[in-house]
Amino acid sequence: MLEITTGKMTLRLSPPVMGASGAFGFAGEYGKLIDLSTLGALVTNPISLRARRAATGARVVPLDSGVLIHTGLPNGGIYKMHRQYAAKWRASPIPVIVHLIGTPEDLAECAAFLDQQAEIAAIELGINDALTAREVRAMVARVRAQTQLPLLAKLPLYQAVNLAAAAADGGANALVIAAPPRGTARDPLSGQLVGGRVYGPWLKPLAVRIVGQLAPRLSIPIIGCGGIHHPDDARDFFEAGARAVQLDSVVWARPEMVIAIAKAFSGGELTRAAGALADEWRPLGEPAERRTTLIPAPPPPHVPSPPEI
Amino acid sequence: MHQRQAVIERIRRVSAGVQRLELAVEPPQRALSGGQFFLARTTATYDPYLREAWLPVALNDKTIVVERPTRYQYLPNQVVDLLGPLGKPFPLRNSARALLLIAYEAAPSIFLLMLQSALARNSAATLVLIGQAQQYPLEALPSALEVIRAEHYETWAERAQHIAWADQIFAVAPPPYDLPAYMRLLEDAQRVRHAVSAELLYGIFQPPMPCGIGACQACLVRLQNGDEVPACTEGMAFDLTRVNLLQSLADSAGA
Ligand code: FES
Repeated sequence: MLEITTGKMTLRLSPPVMGASGAFGFAGEYGKLIDLSTLGALVTNPISLRARRAATGARVVPLDSGVLIHTGLPNGGIYKMHRQYAAKWRASPIPVIVHLIGTPEDLAECAAFLDQQAEIAAIELGINDALTAREVRAMVARVRAQTQLPLLAKLPLYQAVNLAAAAADGGANALVIAAPPRGTARDPLSGQLVGGRVYGPWLKPLAVRIVGQLAPRLSIPIIGCGGIHHPDDARDFFEAGARAVQLDSVVWARPEMVIAIAKAFSGGELTRAAGALADEWRPLGEPAERRTTLIPAPPPPHVPSPPEI
Repeated sequence: MHQRQAVIERIRRVSAGVQRLELAVEPPQRALSGGQFFLARTTATYDPYLREAWLPVALNDKTIVVERPTRYQYLPNQVVDLLGPLGKPFPLRNSARALLLIAYEAAPSIFLLMLQSALARNSAATLVLIGQAQQYPLEALPSALEVIRAEHYETWAERAQHIAWADQIFAVAPPPYDLPAYMRLLEDAQRVRHAVSAELLYGIFQPPMPCGIGACQACLVRLQNGDEVPACTEGMAFDLTRVNLLQSLADSAGA
């Protein structure tokens, strides 16, 4: 479990496994398919001060072992989205964290509004990769001044090392490392190059490395995000220094793994080998081989050799 | 909405390009109507990463039949992970006696389940296969169906009459042809019928769908009232008088 406290407010993440922004929808769309209460929190899709339209043209490009997505971050703007989803957020079995995007002025206005809404447990700021460290510090500080809510800053993968200290200095209570990086790929249907966010299991080593670099340097918790598709992936983030993790595109590829990962860190046990760590249980349907690579087989019991005939 | 395992019981090659897979599925996944679909994962690995959209073409007692291009390879007894049924059934009107189906550069598979119900209640149906759609094997279509083939939309003989007589029209075109094809069809219908009433003309939107559940927002369709709704949950068929085709076309031309 991870607790993030600001003033009188505490965000309790139990288990320390969340649904990431951009993957799970605005308010539990996946509740029709999986038990979202097994997660520690849900981060909404990005919300801006004013309405944004969906991107036009190709929005999805399948990649080898991944996908590039360019949605345009459509949403109705903070006030409309709040009217539309407040009841669902209030009824949510897990804390709801609103992911905000926009200019510093927009973010400050959104934060001041969300600060008054009891159903919101925390705010996550999407940090644009074009910002300098100075701008990030000023932006986070500006938002911090508007809200007592726990504030997470989601950093761009390739700038995370440069921006982390600035976000922490600005008043972020935790850093999410990292947002899916931007890429460009050719859409096989239209033949055009499309820019967007890239998702896939191969992102994990990149993000784990950055978490490992930053964790010893920062006094605030790091939440690992990127390429997690299995409890072992999340373990790698924890071992590198993350205190919680966010899951994104795994929920599209294999929704059942979200539950498996959440349960792996909730203290629940299904099958636990003698000598296994407390969080190591094998999710249903999980091939045994993958586990055996992680947990050395116990030495065989001593059986006397049969007498030679 | 279910995620379940299904087993490929039989694979039948219908033509050089089309195969049909008979899948043993659990009862909740057999509760579906024409227009609904599945997102399937066929491998334990993440390559391919996205699920494939599988379109049921027939329902049996314990199985469903889906149609897939032959460039994809499957094996009998192969276990697949099915998410669905997804989307809404096609809004086929009870009063629709003459049905016009248009497959533009796309296999007409998506119509076949709906056709079963339409033909069972003695509706007349005409299928127009345009461009690549002409390669679809005719023997895989119900014999009661009238089939018209055209190299191009413009060379579709008696197009005006077909559009004028139909009680309901459904068209399918793959992205990126969908918007221009549906725009042209809507304009034709407006010209031929003077006014296009609601629930007459439907376009089927089949963008790639990462989640299928309305969460990722990658499949939004823009409506006339300004709303943007996911094709995966609110489609795949949309009343073309409700879709903001003009703006969507203008935007994608500038994209
Ligand atoms: S496929 Fe994700 S919203 Fe439709």
